[in-house]
Amino acid sequence: MFQFDTLSLVFTALIVLGAVPNLFYSHGYLPHIERKAHYRLHYLTFVFSMIGVVVSANALMFLLFWELMSLTSWQLILTEAKEKKTVDAARFYFLMTHFGFVFLLLFFLIATDGDLEIGFSAMHGIVSKFAYPTLLFFFILLGFLSKAGAVPLHVWLPYAHPEAPSPVSALMSGVMLKVAIYGLFRFLFNVLYPWPLEWGVVILVIGSLSSLIGVLYALSEHDIKALLANHSIENIGIILIGFGMGMIFGSMGLKVLSSFAFIAALFHTFNHMSFKSLLFMGAGAVLHQTHTKNIEKYGGLIKAMPVTALTFLLASVSISALPPTNGFLSEWMIFQSMLSSSHLDNTSLKLAIPFAIFALAMTGGLAIACFVKAYGITFLGLHRSSNAKHAHEVNGWMRAGMILMAAVVLSLMLFTPFYIGWFDKVLIGLGHLSVYAEIFPDGIWHMHSVGMHGGVVSPLILLGALLGVTALLMFGYKALHVKERIHRTWSCGYRTSARTQYSATGFAGPIRRFFGWLYKPDEHFVKESIEGYSSKFSDSHYEVHVKPLFETTLYESVAKAVNRISYWVYRLSHFEQTRYAAMIFNLMLSVLFSYRIFAHEFSWATLLLEGMVMLISIKILIIGEKQ
Amino acid sequence: MTAYLLTIFLLLLIAPLLLSFIKALKMQLLYKKPVSLFQGYRNFSKLMQKETIVSEEASVMTRVAPFLVLSPLLVTLFFLPPVVQGAFYVSFVDAFTITGLIALSTFFLMLLGLDSASAFGGMGSSREAFIAALVEPAMVLTVFSVSMMAGDLGVGQAGVNLAAHFPQEHTASFLFAAISFFILLIAENGRIPVDNPETHLELTMVHEAMILDITGVYLAIIETAASVKFVIFASLFASLFLPFGLQYDVPIAVALFLAKLFLIAAAVALIEVNTAKLRLFKVPNLLGIAIVFAFLSLITFYVLGA
Repeated sequence: MFQFDTLSLVFTALIVLGAVPNLFYSHGYLPHIERKAHYRLHYLTFVFSMIGVVVSANALMFLLFWELMSLTSWQLILTEAKEKKTVDAARFYFLMTHFGFVFLLLFFLIATDGDLEIGFSAMHGIVSKFAYPTLLFFFILLGFLSKAGAVPLHVWLPYAHPEAPSPVSALMSGVMLKVAIYGLFRFLFNVLYPWPLEWGVVILVIGSLSSLIGVLYALSEHDIKALLANHSIENIGIILIGFGMGMIFGSMGLKVLSSFAFIAALFHTFNHMSFKSLLFMGAGAVLHQTHTKNIEKYGGLIKAMPVTALTFLLASVSISALPPTNGFLSEWMIFQSMLSSSHLDNTSLKLAIPFAIFALAMTGGLAIACFVKAYGITFLGLHRSSNAKHAHEVNGWMRAGMILMAAVVLSLMLFTPFYIGWFDKVLIGLGHLSVYAEIFPDGIWHMHSVGMHGGVVSPLILLGALLGVTALLMFGYKALHVKERIHRTWSCGYRTSARTQYSATGFAGPIRRFFGWLYKPDEHFVKESIEGYSSKFSDSHYEVHVKPLFETTLYESVAKAVNRISYWVYRLSHFEQTRYAAMIFNLMLSVLFSYRIFAHEFSWATLLLEGMVMLISIKILIIGEKQ
Repeated sequence: MTAYLLTIFLLLLIAPLLLSFIKALKMQLLYKKPVSLFQGYRNFSKLMQKETIVSEEASVMTRVAPFLVLSPLLVTLFFLPPVVQGAFYVSFVDAFTITGLIALSTFFLMLLGLDSASAFGGMGSSREAFIAALVEPAMVLTVFSVSMMAGDLGVGQAGVNLAAHFPQEHTASFLFAAISFFILLIAENGRIPVDNPETHLELTMVHEAMILDITGVYLAIIETAASVKFVIFASLFASLFLPFGLQYDVPIAVALFLAKLFLIAAAVALIEVNTAKLRLFKVPNLLGIAIVFAFLSLITFYVLGA
């Protein structure tokens, strides 16, 4: 019923590392929640159900805990269901997560042959006899990626995460998304093992797209929690890039590189858990003090909230993949595994992978821009609203949560070899090669890439050098005894005020304009000119909203199509019962035919024949003659 | 080891000289009376003696960020390829780390711009973020291509390898990568046509806008950081794309290396004199060229056989 192999244990560790600081934070947050019992019950069930998912050993337990996890998180989003927006977001989340669940159920029904209580390893035998493994692969992909939030199933994240209470957003974004990554590891390794090359390429493409699209939409967000939610899409994309590279190397027989890429993906999973939780906690603290999620209303909070500001800075540097933080190390590993693509024996892949490198590098650059914006507008400058002016540091429990999470980030940075040892054991457990000795051939100081003449990075030396040089410079500055004067900011003879500083909208302006073809921003610009002048105005208001492209095209047009079809069916069923009956007949015919195609050997001839039969029957029975 | 430490010291020492050299050469070409080559040092010593004015709107970030802008760049100096054959060098650090360290410095510079609550600072940070985001992919791809030609990802080792046996069969890829890297050198250091380091006009300035509120010793630190950044890029270009002359004796090799640095500085000055600054929204076109050349370099490398 339960199993405790290395993969399960490592993911249990991930959940525990993410949940323990969150418990402290959550305790500090509790006074602001009205339905305390409801919150406590669902919160604890949520944490336990996540652990349940990663330790369950058969399909039934897995699905049970998976569903429990989805339902409790859905209820947690509804903790403070005062606005319609929250209810809508929760409904959207509910729909998306069950959309994924359907595919998981389909996968399990096929892979277990109906007996949901057999173990995962027994499923491997059944799957290897199944005629269409790629179908199962896509079921898994749809099932898990709708939870993980990869393009194009990511649209619920920017709605659901901001509406949940902050500790829950931290838990959902930091930990729950990783449970889906666990699912990918578990079922791709244990059940669907020999992968064709194309699967890896599919995951790599999804990863590259997710990372770019996530960061681009994050840049255009004004809601700090939606910004962070979009960054989760980006980071899931980065994890998937590592995962996809691992699969590509695995199916090309490059075992060592494959293990390296998987370790990179696992490492980034841990890193994203740590810094994303910390960022959501920081955002929650800010939100808690200023009572708004709008980033334009913050500013200058570093003076009032030093602990939050410092931990948020650590997490920002880490998520921007800047050395010597843990975020840099895992992204470095993913880059190194992509650079090792020159070992591949396939020219078209070799030419294609640089495009993924381009996507990842661009993501890195844009993430830096995004976090300069998030940090600078929130914590630096002058307060932009009176709420921000009266903010002060949050209570001790919440601070303790943030500091503990910062300690987790720091531990991932300082004890990288230790964690990589864990991940290495995971891959040994999954039947891959051990590469720990190749990554750390000479002690813990240098981290090597396993490709031929790969790069080397030495995180501790780098950290020591940076700290040493900075300390030396600061010491030198102190020794100079420089006279210091406090004076107001120079702004062309005027006083600078909260309204003359750069806003978040303005900061992202150039990037928004450059990517205008993607954003298609919805701009509102109202100004009242002073009479007699066209360029001087007394009052002006500028607002810009970006609605995600995927939502407007993919989702809304699907919704429109479904509406139209259901209207047509409604009309048929109510006014033309004969044709309605004919349609039911056709539906049954198509089910029978597709079962035949699906369960027996596929052949183009029968497909063609049955397709013709279907078309004729539809034409005669449903469409009928033109009137 | 002494040669290693001396080179680092020398690079640090000539950093302001190179920037003054560019300025003097530009003025000479524009029929102006050129500034002294030692103007950089004069500015530095003048700023060191001044009092520091800290904005009252600013937070602790203003007091910390200047050091964090300079220190990653100083650390990077230790990782550059060797100037002389057989000299000690840090062989293990790869180009990603160097790119990352430079980005770390830029990150804190951008935060510094946002700290003083002035519109100029935000403007500069915003523009810098835009340019830096587009530089990143071109940088990574160029580095990838060069390291493939050199057969090593470590920057120091790549420089040595390229000098030891130049990849004759990949001259085309090599040239493409060089063009791309030179564009990046211009963009990262804020030279014309991407940014004009001499202007204080709000329509055009990028780097200067971020540091408009910084004075005294802090300004000296930031200016040093800017010159060190130029030296890093110039010496990377000299070691990776002009890889010759390492085998000579120490004085000749060092002199040759310095000559290469001045040659690069002169090239930058010539470009500055002969082009106009691009509009901010035209800058992506230039960086797009860099990205395309980086891709071309990789593709020719693969297609012509690795």
